[in-house]
Amino acid sequence: MKWKAVATEAKLLLIGIPLFLWTVIPVYHLVLFAISPRDSATSGKLWPDHPTLQNFAIVFQRKHFYLDHFWIQLWNSVLIAVAVAAITLFVATSAAFAISRLKVRGGRTVMNLALFTYFIPAAFLAVPMYKTMGNYGILNSQWALILAMVTIASPYCIWVLKQASDKLPFELDEAARMDGASPLQLFRLVYLPLMVPSLVAVGTYALLLAWNEYLYAFLLLSNDTSTTLAVALGNFLSADDSPWELLMATGLIYALPPAAIYYAFKRYMVGGLTAGAVKS
Amino acid sequence: MASVSFRDVAKSFGHTKVIHGIGFDIADGEFTVLVGPSGCGKSTLLRMLAGLEEISGGTIAIDGKVVNDIDSKDRDIAMVFQSYALYPHMTVADNMGFSMRLRRADAGLTAQRVAQAAKILNLDNYLHRYPRELSGGQRQRVAMGRAIVRDPKVFLFDEPLSNLDAKLRVAMRAEIKALHQRLKTTTVYVTHDQVEAMTMADKIVVMQDGRIEQIGSPLELYDRPNNLFVAQFIGSPAMNVVTGTLRRQGGQAWVEGDGHARWPVEAGGPGVDGQAVTYGVRPEHLSVAGPDASVQAEVIVVEPTGAETELLVQVGGSQIVLVLHGRSAVQPGDKVGLAVETGAVHLFDPASGRSLAIPEPARRAA
Repeated sequence: MKWKAVATEAKLLLIGIPLFLWTVIPVYHLVLFAISPRDSATSGKLWPDHPTLQNFAIVFQRKHFYLDHFWIQLWNSVLIAVAVAAITLFVATSAAFAISRLKVRGGRTVMNLALFTYFIPAAFLAVPMYKTMGNYGILNSQWALILAMVTIASPYCIWVLKQASDKLPFELDEAARMDGASPLQLFRLVYLPLMVPSLVAVGTYALLLAWNEYLYAFLLLSNDTSTTLAVALGNFLSADDSPWELLMATGLIYALPPAAIYYAFKRYMVGGLTAGAVKS
Repeated sequence: MASVSFRDVAKSFGHTKVIHGIGFDIADGEFTVLVGPSGCGKSTLLRMLAGLEEISGGTIAIDGKVVNDIDSKDRDIAMVFQSYALYPHMTVADNMGFSMRLRRADAGLTAQRVAQAAKILNLDNYLHRYPRELSGGQRQRVAMGRAIVRDPKVFLFDEPLSNLDAKLRVAMRAEIKALHQRLKTTTVYVTHDQVEAMTMADKIVVMQDGRIEQIGSPLELYDRPNNLFVAQFIGSPAMNVVTGTLRRQGGQAWVEGDGHARWPVEAGGPGVDGQAVTYGVRPEHLSVAGPDASVQAEVIVVEPTGAETELLVQVGGSQIVLVLHGRSAVQPGDKVGLAVETGAVHLFDPASGRSLAIPEPARRAA
């Protein structure tokens, strides 16, 4: 019996340790570079002799050629991510409500068609998307990136929300209808409050998807003041003598908001909100 | 307060017909129970009245006004669901006041109506709780409170007690009945439990396979069932039935059954000599008699419940249940004779199940 427990433990460790290293080493590397002075960044030590926050000061004060537009690019990233999350939430919630609760004719087909787009890799769609945005005349406008990201995020979000909607007891809708609720009142007063955990999950997903996007941002926004920080980070590597320590410091700053968002919203992403609605 | 009338109401899901042209009326203030085995269409009928299901044929009218094309929110009816369907994100008070809020009623008036309903239902102390913090019985009362606050024309109940335990069910049964006597609102109540139907209803509608088997007051159905289905569905323990041949000879009448039993029948009753019949007698109309009785039985099980004693006895191939008042000295294995109150015997046609006491097919709306 003991042996079995040990064997199970060993198997878990065998999977766990590589997974842990896989996750932690890049982060460690990122931090190490970010706190190393310029000349010792690539010295190969496990911890710098003189750890410093100088790099962050340089980033915040934009004291480098690559960082000229740091603040505006960070702001762009925030703006685009929030806009994508908001629009995706609106589209996906409305669609899920219509498909799952109002049982709109053909709703499922529309959802399946939308999901079908995931069969085509996003990279394949990049050029058509570029052309389309050109046709719309919004290239170089942040709307181009926002719309593109909403397009990419929506199908999955609709699907997730539809699955979550299906789990809400249908009697609630019937009760609300009999209480005199119109579909919009039903949506606003009954459906949305009960969907909060799923909405937070889906909103976070869309936000992070947009925040982390590089390819489309790079393609659709070519102006230094309109592009996102992700693209700016990529530009660090355009020269031979890249300032690695600044790249890593900026990267670390860029990675913090997603982590913060994840921890802030984690507590909302729990079930149990519908407890007491119906006897189960 | 309103009357309700069903005229030739039919419902099909795709090609499957689940309700076959039902027609009956519910008077203003009446407590009507739709009862029948599961799948008989009673809930569907209720949901059609509620406006939650399309009406495939016929008309439903509330207060003389046909409501087929009226949205459920405009029918002025309130429904209590089997699963309660409380809004989990709202407090008890908000749940009960939700319909008023939707109608943009004055907040003061809403609070007053909610307080009133809460008082009727003993929910005063729970108004600020959430549904998840309530017991099953309390949730059930909140669901009723939600209906009361609206003061609708008709109350609908869809098996509201089936999720409660037995003791609470009896208590809530009395509460709902008391509530109806107090508010006098027309009520349609669906249940599969004939005891609920018997104890609560002014009028019972017995349904089977999308058709009405019989309509009547509880005791009417109990005393004069139209057919074998109603006879066996209403009453607990169920009516005993044996098949046999009716004999009318020399001013005497009996049914010859299995095991040489001669089940006594009233002399002047319906049916002719030699006719095959189904003989029905309720457990409480049987008693233990001496060894010279015309029906001889062997006792299998004795179940004393205190006030009554239930006996299960074997007569030929049939098992018969007796309910005796008080205690009984008989033991399992005893041979006893059975005496029958002949006035309470029912005879049915074995083929159609129709009671021989009913002159012609009294089946409504086939």
